[in-house]
Amino acid sequence: MLGQLIMSGVATGSLYALTAVAVVVVFRNTRTINLAQGDFAMIGAFLAIVFLKALGLNYYATIALTVVCCMALGVLTERLIMRRIADADWLTLFTATLGVYYILHGVSGWIWGRDTKAFPVTFDATPVHILGTIVSEGHLVNLAWALGIGLVLFAFFRYTKQGIAMRAVTDDPETAELMGIPVRFIVMLTWAMAGFLAAFAGILTAPIIYVAPEMMDEVLIKGYVAAVFGGLYSIPGAIIGAILIGIAENLAGGYLGAHFKVSTAFVMIVVLLAFRPQGLIGIQRRREV
Amino acid sequence: MANRTTPSAAPAEGTNRAAVAKLRNTFQAQNWILAILFFAACFAFPVLPFVEGWMASQAALIIIYIMAAQGVSILTGYTGLVTVGHGGFLAIGAYTAALLMKYTGLSIIPGMILGGLVSAVFGFALGLVFLRLAGAFMAIGTLGFAFFIGSIVNNVPIFEGRTGISLPPNTVFGFEIDDFGFYYVALATLALTTLFVYSLVRSGVGRAFKALRDSDKAAESSGVNRLLYRSLSFSISAFITGMAGALNGLIVNYVSAEVYADIWYSVDILVAAVVGGSATLFGPFVGGLFVAMVPFYLEEFADFAFILKGVVLIAVLLLAPAGVAEVVSRPVRAWRQRKLLEAGGSPELAQAQAPAARDKS
Repeated sequence: MLGQLIMSGVATGSLYALTAVAVVVVFRNTRTINLAQGDFAMIGAFLAIVFLKALGLNYYATIALTVVCCMALGVLTERLIMRRIADADWLTLFTATLGVYYILHGVSGWIWGRDTKAFPVTFDATPVHILGTIVSEGHLVNLAWALGIGLVLFAFFRYTKQGIAMRAVTDDPETAELMGIPVRFIVMLTWAMAGFLAAFAGILTAPIIYVAPEMMDEVLIKGYVAAVFGGLYSIPGAIIGAILIGIAENLAGGYLGAHFKVSTAFVMIVVLLAFRPQGLIGIQRRREV
Repeated sequence: MANRTTPSAAPAEGTNRAAVAKLRNTFQAQNWILAILFFAACFAFPVLPFVEGWMASQAALIIIYIMAAQGVSILTGYTGLVTVGHGGFLAIGAYTAALLMKYTGLSIIPGMILGGLVSAVFGFALGLVFLRLAGAFMAIGTLGFAFFIGSIVNNVPIFEGRTGISLPPNTVFGFEIDDFGFYYVALATLALTTLFVYSLVRSGVGRAFKALRDSDKAAESSGVNRLLYRSLSFSISAFITGMAGALNGLIVNYVSAEVYADIWYSVDILVAAVVGGSATLFGPFVGGLFVAMVPFYLEEFADFAFILKGVVLIAVLLLAPAGVAEVVSRPVRAWRQRKLLEAGGSPELAQAQAPAARDKS
């Protein structure tokens, strides 16, 4: 039972990681705590339904199209709103993303209605024996996707010019600008990456829960908690945090009872912030907090 | 006024001071008269012939939002901390009052005060727990707190989860009150909290808050106990919001996790504080009115209300980052400053009236 809970915890956690990494990437490049991150994913899930059902596309084409749309959404948010207030204090940035959150909630409820919908691609619960535990096939598929996305990100940050420029902007935007890095473009790219991650978060989470305007609210909070594990700065820290949350809440659900499952992450964040506000893992950096 | 006749070239110190002081008193009196007129108008509102019970309830709901936003503004406006978790305090206030009323038969006013006090205790504790947090971390922490309270009221049996706690009709001093009675209770509470916030920000405690907002290092080295004042700020803020929460439950005689486990409350209150403008007394009134009215008039178009709220919020941030109240009060303040300068007040003194801009942290 323990191994099983841990395995499915890792799988759930890897989905939280998609949100957590996006939160970190946006925060460290723009000082913005993006409240709309979950809603990018939610819009992605709704769009995926449209692509699958109304347009009759296959799963992979749907994913590709959703990724493009979500990236566009991220870029749009940056161009239309965030860029105009880029120099404001962080509370202004934060409340602006709250405005985006409201708008996306309203738009999705307006177009697709408030009722929860089932995602056309169902979660595959076929048991698979692996490492002495029994895991649903769906969890393994999600894990594989998350792993794949992780590798893509790793390669992007490590080997591409844009990825390296993005890290430079993270470290020191002024110097990066002086070195000729197009900071504005990089910030736009940052938001596109948030959209990219959101598309996958939406499509992979939807089969497990449901599709509705508020579907990602809790996932988003868990993403924040995970991001704080990495001090809102470290991507590996955020990933580890996300997986820890996945495991912890599964264990709490398994041993303490289902209704403890939800509160686990929130207990974790309060405890973590009380004792290690700079995060558990990652570079200990005093920014302009 | 006297200052018109004062020669601008090297006026005598003493007369200047007197003139400036007099002018200051005049301005203060103007503020007071406006506030009193406003509250008098609110007290008179139910006697208008077309006003029905539901309007009084709706007005009471606006008052509740204003109070909650006042609570938030103490943190965001005066102490420079952020909170996305005040829905948690709203819930604590509401449930404390509801449980006390259900099990001990307390009436609305002591229920409300105790709701506020319990909420204040939680606020103080949260201030201690999050002592070292700032900025974004604080936002996430308080958000986590609201979710935490939400999942507790949803799951711990005494709070009766989504079934909710139904309460008997409200009484004040043994008399049952209707919607109008409730409106008066809410309005009187609002008048008191406004007066309280007014005196608070002018007191030593309020100055300590503002010192922490402007630079916590400078404040600490001048002897402001950061631990104490942060927690105090949290608990005062939680007290007011907790009382608003208690009223919010009592207005419908029903408290349920359906409402209080919802993160919307936290977010709405923050929006009220930001849209209205945090560092002004007037701001929460504008913001509270905004967040309470939008869903009401667009009830059938809830989604449209969301969109409108988002658009207005972003528009305010783009066009008037200091809040709507600031836009209204800026010309007045500028005019008064000019008057003070003309009367021979020193520029620094005149400046001191303007709130300091938020720093970029």
